Amino acid sequence: MKNAVTGVGLAPDAAMVTFPVNMFMPGSDIAPVETRRREFYDGLTKWKSAFAQTAAAKMLSVEGASYEDALTRANNLLLTSLWGDGLPLWPATKERVDWMLQGSVLPRTHVLGKFPPRGGITTIETCAIALAMAGGRPEYLAVLVAAVDACLEAEGFDQLQATSGGPFPAVIVNGPIAKQIRLNSGFGLLGPDPQRPAGASIGRALRLLQQNVGGALPGVGTMAIFGAMRYTNAVFAEDEEGLPPGWQTHAQQRHGYAPGTNSVSVVFASGVTNVRRRGAKKESPEEDALNGMWRMADYMRAPNLAALAGWEKGTPGVMMIAPIVARRMAEVGWTQQSIRDFLWENSKIPMAHMKRAGAPAWIEIDHNPVTRASIDLDPWPICQRPDNIVLVVAGGGHPTHSYWLQAHSPTVEGRVVRVPETFEKLLAEADKDLGCGDDVCRI
Amino acid sequence: MTRLEFYDPSGTLEVTVPHAPRLASLKGKRIGFVSNEQWQAYRMLPMLKGLLEKDFPGIEVLPVDAFPQGNGLIGNEETAALVKRSGVDAVIVGNAA
Repeated sequence: MKNAVTGVGLAPDAAMVTFPVNMFMPGSDIAPVETRRREFYDGLTKWKSAFAQTAAAKMLSVEGASYEDALTRANNLLLTSLWGDGLPLWPATKERVDWMLQGSVLPRTHVLGKFPPRGGITTIETCAIALAMAGGRPEYLAVLVAAVDACLEAEGFDQLQATSGGPFPAVIVNGPIAKQIRLNSGFGLLGPDPQRPAGASIGRALRLLQQNVGGALPGVGTMAIFGAMRYTNAVFAEDEEGLPPGWQTHAQQRHGYAPGTNSVSVVFASGVTNVRRRGAKKESPEEDALNGMWRMADYMRAPNLAALAGWEKGTPGVMMIAPIVARRMAEVGWTQQSIRDFLWENSKIPMAHMKRAGAPAWIEIDHNPVTRASIDLDPWPICQRPDNIVLVVAGGGHPTHSYWLQAHSPTVEGRVVRVPETFEKLLAEADKDLGCGDDVCRI
Repeated sequence: MTRLEFYDPSGTLEVTVPHAPRLASLKGKRIGFVSNEQWQAYRMLPMLKGLLEKDFPGIEVLPVDAFPQGNGLIGNEETAALVKRSGVDAVIVGNAA
């Protein structure tokens, strides 16, 4: 309930009567409503907000016998203030934050918006503070700012932050900036990579903003029951060089951005899973492609209702196929459109299966009338149109698996990434600091 | 001693809308419910309605379904306008979990 009132201009507290969760289960004993009814009455008559308005961002300080000791104390303070994630943090000193801000094309005081549900005012400086804490570098800031801006404008972002399904931002980056800042599009692109560390820092900074500015603390500001991918979210690049001839980038397909445009596209995913795609024996190229497509569609054909949020305008998920798979499929006639059409057509769920899973009730209570009307469809498509499905070419040069990021995503929000005039200088400094990447060295 | 100074990372908050003033008493007042129809609201809110009517003679408590229900409807401007037009002195919103 607190989440419903903060971030919209009200103080971040409310008159609430709280009960243990077992009260809210079917068949529960609700007698405590009667025994504690005075609390309801007091909420209507006596309650007062305990919130005292805060002013500008405060500076904190710690002292230690040595730098190591001070660093430990700073991390302890961040954790006890509920601003950490359990991993070591860089305290956001003025020097470090000023360094991050070299990557911004906007002034540090520029306001991006209020981060829901808590409603913390989010500026470029706020982003730089988070990026500093997350171990980032200034050349990452433009991508982070674009991702934050996309999140803040995303439909229902306040609910996405708070909901029990625990959606996390998956940030797909297109354009030359991906390679320039060492963002992974290949092997292990969702995990740590010392040669391509940008995704971890940007995603971690975004998560810190979600928690510290947006108030998405586990069990308090976010009811994410499991909370997957919540250390770093998922920040990765599409492998544009791996696109088969004639295929468009994700940014062009979904958002209309011209090739070569630096951009982010934010999907809210609620799970990640491998789909074993490759055949194991003597399949022809055509059979290998088709069998793999069936395995993907079969996996998507599940009445677990994650897709409901994005049924009309969003997406049921992101299907990632490795560049070698995309090329081989293109060689036997598959296109981006025919892949989407196949997945859409063959992930439809017979209404009998929906009914046995109790799924129609969720469709009936959806807030979107277009989605509610879909209850008449049998079989039920997991999204309104094939184009709702996000198809991205990314992953290591290996044909065995595809990857499905199931989504709870009312929208797929795109933003152009704007970099400062000094960007090349920042990239050259990164080469000095981190050494030459495989093909990105500037010195 | 080594001193480290660093930013509070939580951003700033701005309160622009005060919470509604509390009522002096519930006697003779008109109370409504705004329900998302979830988490046993269909049982708890009618129970609360009965308790209010029992404990505060003269109180008027609107039916639980007097306003649009469901997560997608209770937070929109149309519902807020309906609540305002209804002349209720206060509403109870539920249930969250």
